[in-house]
Amino acid sequence: MKIGLCAYSGYKIYPGHGKTMVKTDGKTFTFLNAKCESSYLMKRNPRKVTWTVLYRRKHKKGQEEEQAKKRTRRTQKFQRAIVGASLTDIIAKRNMKPEVRKAQREQAIRAAKEQKKAVKAAKKVQAPTKAKAVPKQKASKVQQKSAPRVGGKR
Amino acid sequence: MALSMWRKLPKLMCVGHGFHTSPAYSHIIKLTRLRVVDNSEIGKRAMAEGKPPKCIHVYNKKGVGTIGDKVLLAIKGEKKKAIIVGVKQNQPALSPKFDSNNVVLVDDNGTPLGTRIHVPIPQVLRTILKEKNVVKGADYTKLIALASRFV
Repeated sequence: MKIGLCAYSGYKIYPGHGKTMVKTDGKTFTFLNAKCESSYLMKRNPRKVTWTVLYRRKHKKGQEEEQAKKRTRRTQKFQRAIVGASLTDIIAKRNMKPEVRKAQREQAIRAAKEQKKAVKAAKKVQAPTKAKAVPKQKASKVQQKSAPRVGGKR
Repeated sequence: MALSMWRKLPKLMCVGHGFHTSPAYSHIIKLTRLRVVDNSEIGKRAMAEGKPPKCIHVYNKKGVGTIGDKVLLAIKGEKKKAIIVGVKQNQPALSPKFDSNNVVLVDDNGTPLGTRIHVPIPQVLRTILKEKNVVKGADYTKLIALASRFV
């Protein structure tokens, strides 16, 4: 048998109990007992009547087990391979130790310096004037300092 | 002087302790106005005009009709038979109570005049109408086939 619910109090109605009423517009109401029926007919709002299920739900009474709602959702960080570098490359770069990085950087700077020197030497050979050599050396020195840092983040 | 007279009068007019008064029954008897719940032509017109049919005879040993009883109505100057499908009266535990006295128009053979019933109909009608069926005569259970909702 089907156990209905009281339309007013929200309690279960077992077979053999309760009373049903059909309104002119066709809406059906089942009441558990005369108390519920009378309250309904008196137009008492069940949400204000303390002992009904509707009131308890509205005022969140006795629902300590449902504290699971407080668990906030955290987004997972997800590592992805990009077009320029595969996953392993990214992880390797991230995990590099600072000494290693420094060494890499110095290597890169040295390489850049050598390159620049080579370029300057070639230009010197090509340029005939001696006077230009002195200011060029000074200029080249300044330029060495501003070599770009290679090797990623510190 | 006159004012005090008026104040005393209501008490004098209280005849309650003299005789017995019965509560208001919502019985379906002769001359009760009923509400046609199917979509038959006559029924719809009568209800729309605000001239609900009146019961002129109850096919019952007692002159009081309840759910499942056949009834003679006067609608729009015609006599039609009908079956009661919902009563305002307080019901025994099984059947639901309705806010209006509902009725479905029927002809002599029990075939309903309308094609659909939109109002909920009590489940107990099934058993009641089955017993009323006369073999090769009136078949009243056709009316249940029209119902869209049961209570």
